[in-house]
Amino acid sequence: MATILIVEDEVSINDLIRRNLQLVGHTCISVFDGMEAVQELSRTEVDLVILDIMLPEMDGYEVFKRNQEIPTIFLTARSSLADKVKGLTLGADDYLVKPFEMLELLARVDAVLRRTKKVGKEFELGGVKIDFEGRKVFLHDSPVECTPKEFDLLEVLVNNRNIALSRDKLLELAWGYDYGGDSRTVDVHIQKLRRKLDLEGRIKTVYKLGYRLEV
Amino acid sequence: MGEHYFIISALTKDFYAVESRGATIESSLASLIKPYSYLSGDNNVKLALYKGQQSVYSNGQEIELESRFLEPPEDGTRLSAIEKSGGHTYVIVSGKLPQPYNAYTLVYIYDTTDAIQTWQHMKNMLFVIGLIISGLLAVGLLLLLNRIFKPLSQISYTSRKIAEGDYETRLTVSGRDELSEMARSFNHMAEEIQRQMTELITAAEKKQQFIDNFAHELRTPLTAIYGYAEYLQKVAITEDDRLDAIQYIMSGSQRMQNMAAQLLELANLSHDEIFQGAQSVSGLFQSVERTLSSRITEKEIHIEYRLETDLILGDAFLLESLFINLIDNAIKACGIGGQIIVHASSEAGNLKISIQDNGKGMTPEVLQHITEPFYRAEKSRNRKDGGAGLGLSICQQIVLRHGAELTFMSRPDEGTTAIVFFYNFNMT
Repeated sequence: MATILIVEDEVSINDLIRRNLQLVGHTCISVFDGMEAVQELSRTEVDLVILDIMLPEMDGYEVFKRNQEIPTIFLTARSSLADKVKGLTLGADDYLVKPFEMLELLARVDAVLRRTKKVGKEFELGGVKIDFEGRKVFLHDSPVECTPKEFDLLEVLVNNRNIALSRDKLLELAWGYDYGGDSRTVDVHIQKLRRKLDLEGRIKTVYKLGYRLEV
Repeated sequence: MGEHYFIISALTKDFYAVESRGATIESSLASLIKPYSYLSGDNNVKLALYKGQQSVYSNGQEIELESRFLEPPEDGTRLSAIEKSGGHTYVIVSGKLPQPYNAYTLVYIYDTTDAIQTWQHMKNMLFVIGLIISGLLAVGLLLLLNRIFKPLSQISYTSRKIAEGDYETRLTVSGRDELSEMARSFNHMAEEIQRQMTELITAAEKKQQFIDNFAHELRTPLTAIYGYAEYLQKVAITEDDRLDAIQYIMSGSQRMQNMAAQLLELANLSHDEIFQGAQSVSGLFQSVERTLSSRITEKEIHIEYRLETDLILGDAFLLESLFINLIDNAIKACGIGGQIIVHASSEAGNLKISIQDNGKGMTPEVLQHITEPFYRAEKSRNRKDGGAGLGLSICQQIVLRHGAELTFMSRPDEGTTAIVFFYNFNMT
């Protein structure tokens, strides 16, 4: 998928972000201070920078000023409006306040990558091939008929692969907030996807939680 | 009147004198009176002497006298009146000469026209002058009042400005009267207000800084705890990953626990009573070294003691906590195989304990802030050296509670010396 540079001095959080992004197939580079980040950016081509603001050696704003052409999500523990405004007026693509949820991080990364056209347009898993732009699904190169909702659900599962999603979360992400249906709808659609795409072994039921697409 | 009387009495004496020489009064009358008309000095005075109704002498009399003036009372009293005639005003006094010359009547006519005119002229003049003077006085008074009230309006203007929050405003002080005295004390007041406002603002800023830092300090471990818990919940992971995640969660919790404990300690320090007792410096440092032994051996730190005095007054627990913090900081600053020198000495009844390391040292800017809660030398709050950033705040509080003073001397790359100064320390 994409190459992402994580600039965060707190080892545990750096590691956490790296683990989460790797789950959905991104390649991650971890650095722990501003100088390192600048050096790494001059060496390697990255698609996205996740940048903490309070950093040793050189703060996040300074790092950002030197690499404005690379899409950036600021990461900070400061939630004051002034900080957000400063980050965004500098031209940051998004802003994430600690503590954040895993899905929020992934969704924002995804959104920025899609905006900057760095997101994969196709996805392959086993015999299944998904064309996101044409909204088509192929199994062993033969097209499979999917309803729009089934496709939405599949897309959500693929974008958040390896992460368990609750039925409510799936409803929210695939159907939208205002959908009034009950969580059984999710079960029905999951069953259909499993059967149509031969994904019984991939879409796992997670006890007491929901479903997870394992890659 | 007075003149009339004087002339009459003088004339009478003259008449006596003339008669005693045997001359007749009538013949020498003119020469007798003449001097008096000169005596009166100016031309405004006319004298007329009548014998019965007949004028025997007159010097330039111009007005017709009413007959009553020619027949004044017999008893020697005199008649006087003010008459106006032909544009002139006269004061007429007539009276008979005393016995035996009571046949004569002296009429004294005083022409006051000029006097009245002069007087009237003068009156007008005085009126005009008065007007001018009072005008001038009014203007002067106005200026004076303005001058007097100008400082007052200035004061009210200045105090309004201050009330609006413009604490820089001052009165200009000039002279040494009561007003300038007042201006001085007013300025003093303004200065005090400004100082206190600045203090309040600084305190508020510090508090805000504290809260910001506190929020940051809370959020960082929280992010890790929440993130790894979520990771455990949602992701199919290996046993190794699971243990890593649990380790992160535990250290995050531990950090919050430490922070809570330190915050509590800091809060308690400013309220709790402290127990003052005699402590042994060497004993204190022995237990400090025991507490920090693992870190000391890990970094191969050598601690050298130069204890010239061994007695210290204070709370054993707090003093130990103080020195643990200071030595711990020194250890953190030192590299592998660093050296720390603990020096206790007494100077003029004051006890001085210094802890010197040969570690990385600090810049003066950093030195300024190190006792602020959550302050970190590195802006990033790197957790490699551990701690919540409250250690020196606690030290500062402990030192304050002991009436002592904590100072730092530091140079980058040369090391830091922390000095605790206990004042008025009695060695007996």
